[in-house]
Amino acid sequence: MASYPHLMAPITLNKLTLRNRVVSTAHAEVYAEPGGLPGDRYIRYYEEKAKGGVGLAICGGSSPVSIDSPQGWWKSVNLSNDRIIDPLARLSETMHRHGAKIMIQATHMGRRNAFHGENWPHLMTPSGIREPVHRGNAKIIEIEEIKRIIKDFGVAARRVKAAGMDGIEISAAHQHLIDQFWSPRSNFRTDEWGGSLENRMRFGREVLSEVREAVGPDFVVGLRMCGDEFHEDGLDHETLKEIAHAMGETRLVDYISVVGSGADTHNTLANCMPPMALPPEPFVHLAAGIKSVVDIPVMHAQSIRDAGQAERLLAAGMIDLVGMTRAQIADPYMVEKIRDGREDEIKQCVGANYCIDRQYNGLDVLCVQNAATSREATMPHIITKSTGPRRKVVVVGGGPGGLEAARVARSRGHDVVLFERGDAVGGQINLAAKAPQREQMAGIVRWFDMETRRLGVDRRMGREATPEMILGEQPDIVVLATGGSSNMGQVPGWGFEEGLSVSSWDILSGKAEPGKNVLVYDVMSAHTGSGTADFLATRGSTVEIVTPDVKVADDVGGTTFPIFYRRLYALDVVMTPNYWLDRVYREGNKLIAVIRNEYTEGLEERSVDQVVIENGILPNDGLYWDLKERSVNFGQTDNATLFAAEPQPALSEDLSGDKFLLYRVGDCISQHNIHGAIYDALRLCKDF
Amino acid sequence: MQWVQIAITIVFWVAVATLAVGLIRRIRLWRNGRDAPVDWGGLLAIPRRYLVDIHHVVARDSYIANTHMAVAGGALAALALVAINYGLALYQPWLDWLTLAAAAVMLVGSYFIWARRRNPPARLSKGPWSRLPFTLAGFAAGVIGLMLVTLVPPSATTTMLALPLLLLLIAGSAELALGIGAGGPMKHAVAGLLHLGFHPRKQRFTGRSVDLRPLDLDAGDFGVGKPADFRWNQLLSFDACVQCGKCEAACPAFAAGQPLNPKKLIQDLVVGLASGSDAKFAGSPYPGIPIGEHAGAPDKAVVPFLIEPATLWSCTTCRACVEECPMLIEHVDAIIDLRRNLTLTTGELPGTASETLANLRETGTTGGHDVAARQHWAVDLDVKQAQPGTLVDVLLVVGEGAFDTRYQRTLRALVKSLKAAKIDFAVLGDSEFDTGDTARRLGDEATFQMLAQRNIANFARFQFRRIVTPDPHVLNSLKNDYPALGGHFAVLHHSTLLAQLAKSGQLQLGPTPDRRAVTYHDPCYLGRYNGEIDAPRDLLKAIGIEVREMERSGLRGRCCGGGGGAPLTDIPGRQRIPDIRIGDAKATGAAIVAVGCPQCTAMLEGVVGERPEVLDIAELVAQSLPVPA
Repeated sequence: MASYPHLMAPITLNKLTLRNRVVSTAHAEVYAEPGGLPGDRYIRYYEEKAKGGVGLAICGGSSPVSIDSPQGWWKSVNLSNDRIIDPLARLSETMHRHGAKIMIQATHMGRRNAFHGENWPHLMTPSGIREPVHRGNAKIIEIEEIKRIIKDFGVAARRVKAAGMDGIEISAAHQHLIDQFWSPRSNFRTDEWGGSLENRMRFGREVLSEVREAVGPDFVVGLRMCGDEFHEDGLDHETLKEIAHAMGETRLVDYISVVGSGADTHNTLANCMPPMALPPEPFVHLAAGIKSVVDIPVMHAQSIRDAGQAERLLAAGMIDLVGMTRAQIADPYMVEKIRDGREDEIKQCVGANYCIDRQYNGLDVLCVQNAATSREATMPHIITKSTGPRRKVVVVGGGPGGLEAARVARSRGHDVVLFERGDAVGGQINLAAKAPQREQMAGIVRWFDMETRRLGVDRRMGREATPEMILGEQPDIVVLATGGSSNMGQVPGWGFEEGLSVSSWDILSGKAEPGKNVLVYDVMSAHTGSGTADFLATRGSTVEIVTPDVKVADDVGGTTFPIFYRRLYALDVVMTPNYWLDRVYREGNKLIAVIRNEYTEGLEERSVDQVVIENGILPNDGLYWDLKERSVNFGQTDNATLFAAEPQPALSEDLSGDKFLLYRVGDCISQHNIHGAIYDALRLCKDF
Repeated sequence: MQWVQIAITIVFWVAVATLAVGLIRRIRLWRNGRDAPVDWGGLLAIPRRYLVDIHHVVARDSYIANTHMAVAGGALAALALVAINYGLALYQPWLDWLTLAAAAVMLVGSYFIWARRRNPPARLSKGPWSRLPFTLAGFAAGVIGLMLVTLVPPSATTTMLALPLLLLLIAGSAELALGIGAGGPMKHAVAGLLHLGFHPRKQRFTGRSVDLRPLDLDAGDFGVGKPADFRWNQLLSFDACVQCGKCEAACPAFAAGQPLNPKKLIQDLVVGLASGSDAKFAGSPYPGIPIGEHAGAPDKAVVPFLIEPATLWSCTTCRACVEECPMLIEHVDAIIDLRRNLTLTTGELPGTASETLANLRETGTTGGHDVAARQHWAVDLDVKQAQPGTLVDVLLVVGEGAFDTRYQRTLRALVKSLKAAKIDFAVLGDSEFDTGDTARRLGDEATFQMLAQRNIANFARFQFRRIVTPDPHVLNSLKNDYPALGGHFAVLHHSTLLAQLAKSGQLQLGPTPDRRAVTYHDPCYLGRYNGEIDAPRDLLKAIGIEVREMERSGLRGRCCGGGGGAPLTDIPGRQRIPDIRIGDAKATGAAIVAVGCPQCTAMLEGVVGERPEVLDIAELVAQSLPVPA
């Protein structure tokens, strides 16, 4: 068994001893109840990590200390009011019961926000410079406001301490108010709050002393800061080392947490929670640089995804605490599995960034591959055996939905047969992983593959299931997860039948050779279209990507579309939004694609060698219609109980003899996504 | 037939004289050994030790027990009667009848010896031992015939028969009389009885005796380098060996094809004490080491001339050989004595053993850990650390397993149960040092004594009623090895404590939620060394588990391969010992092997491929704690 002596070693911050070096760093959860109060969902989400062995969780990413730092649109925890104390106390008590420690991040976001909504405050920033990412128009902060906000930090810190939490982390990262003061990019003041570095650091320093004053000497105070803004006019690593040294020398903070990259443009923001395109631990050198100038522990997160990696970084002395935040969103039991030598059972984060991309849309954080995360009240992370009858469950289709159905049903103690017509499980994810820089999507499949094997699912590969094969298994329950096929017939003018166009799947699967001059028509604006364009351009094709949406990759989240853009621009892919593809015809040895502007109705033609179309999928529902009439429940899923996370009523039916229940999950009903398919399967099968 | 009677008298006294001469020669050889206290009272205990202690071992194999009873009983009775009737020249016919009856019993027994030797198990030595049924039968037949000759009226026939019968008697008597002097098979009878009287561990006749003798290092006692370095009664004990090979059949290293056979080892030491080579050894060799290439003498170094170091380093010190030996020979003591000399005088140990000893000296841990890290597993469990001046009921000594993330699961489970039972317990903070058990088994008495003194001094800082440990090696060290160095503690294995708590109701246990079949592997240092085979089983029973016993279990359990530093010396064999043990477990059909030792956990979990899950008793118990409301 591998051992992780550094990762599993306790560490003491101030007077607080953590059981290991694994931290769930502060992130915006988007789970708080109205008013910014942690409720049942919020507490359960963290409790699961505590049960799973995390050493320290820092909750409440960007929790505001003042009423004029908005938090409503992403449902943050609100530290600007005494009402927060009781719910936070419940959280503290819960975490401590499982041996974990809990802190909260506190901040004032300054200009980094949207002004509209809730109290419609006028945002404030040192020099009134607009923040691009959030369209944060802001006023110049006045000295009275500076002093008041410093006081607000102290009052908020007292609330945190009163709630029995183990510490408070002050954010000076991601361009919050403190680092808006630090950064020459946003601070052009000429008074004592701007100009020299010493003056620019004044606000942060005073915040820290106010906070320390409020909580006393023994309470953990941390500081999260940037290691390099990656902007020509921003803070570079050397300056940030100077700042870190100065902050350490105040003796007011007990650790420094370092993140790489600024965050006030779309492109730098994408670095902050490095998506799968970036290499592992891309910015640990920044943390190590800062560690070299401070004498307090340094924490670092950003694509530290597995135990060996974490152990190596700690053993090398680059950092003292590892943030493995998305890693524990994917698997809150990661630490326990590392500890107990069950590393192979860890559902490893692949950096798909479904979580953070939802957060940037103001939606609750969910995991692309784990439907139980943040649904702990109803969805189990650990599937327990059924106490009811042992059933024969046949699952058809080895994509994410089918794999999850097989895994869950098997974990419930049933005999499970999984039919997959391909030679490997994974379904559409196998195609998704073909696109450049998207290879790690395959990690999602890897876990399901290993788990279904480990659990003893009877996997029948390489043959397409027929109704006879399915019924021949004498099933009690049949779950169809047959997915879909490229939806190419929707517009006859595309000429798919005549061979005038191919699908994105044809390209990604290698069925169609890339053409020389290619038009990619992307109706969906999700990962597949841009990925296909990237795939083609990387192989030397000249590519234009056309979409009727307002921009290319419009439905790809905030940390991933910049990756596509970095690549597509670098490969000279022409991006043409706002056009429909009407028809394709042949002229000589060329194909002519006729595209129509959404807003002018004006037609244009493109002479190309290949037209590739991404138009989503049509459900593969043939088996369903074959089996529907023969099933006890006529293939119906009861939505009332499904949505309430309760057992399907039909499970109590007599299933003796040839009688069976028929259910569907995922894309074979209608197109969802990976998370959708997995959630369908989990909520259905957890009560089998 | 008066001349026949006189002839028998003459044969008898000649035999007695021969035996006496042979015995004196043998005693001289034994006396080459070092002094040991002579317990003359032990001679009086011989009948009891023979009839109770030996019988207890021999009776496990009823065939040979009955056979031996017939042969030895018949022979002893016949010899006693001959001694009275012919030695004293009484020539009483009624005694002849009794003698005849005794010899007849012996003859029947000899038949069964012969029958067994037609297809002897591999463990039995051949060579001179194969002639024994015939010489013994010859003796018995000679006595029967001669008795008849003296009892029936003389005739030409009896005269004609008397002479060959006399020759038979002489031949049979020669086997008995020459045995001790010439080192024949019947040496065992005399040496065996004397060995019972002068046994080096007389405590084993009143209880378990497994403590090792501390070396007086200041006096230059560095163990055994040559046969003459053994104590005289150890040399005597080697001569008692009957080469039955029960030890060989029980030895895990031999089964794994490592170059150790306890029977051969004892016979090599016999060769060493009497001078000669091993060429005449007629049993299984040390796997991989040919016979006939080694020789010894009382003052010649044992290693490497008589025994290769790899033989000594293959031993797991599991004591299965000792447990099986019908002659109550202490093989493991001999091996430790020899190891001590190798380690203390040459420092040459194979594998990672030297590194481990250095770790123990320098860090107080076998793995070279920071000793303060030993309690890291308990950081989030709110476990008390012992404080000088504050009395606790239980001092939990966690052992080296505390550094192993797998084993920490066991410790956490144990803590859960102790808390559920409201036990007042504490761990040693940063001052739990290794007990030195591994050093001691590897022969590094210096490091052991250093660690023992350090621990005894450290324990004295704290006040506690008893020590509880989940590590049988820690248990054995503290309980059996420390008293000789001045450390006297009440020590319990965690299974013993938990079983007591479950029985008294202080620990409430529900039925186990895990319905899989369970077998239990007895750790050698818990079962054989300390006799605790019931508590783990009682505990499993208390949570509704019916143990599927393996082929070798309880006091006769098979070793996991993890004792005595064997995983460190890591002598190659044909297969690994834990693989064999997992094979035993699989044969029961169990899906779980319950264990009670960090070494066993690591060894059995190290078996690759399909195997039952390995769970400590503490883990199974913790799973059965009632879920808090």
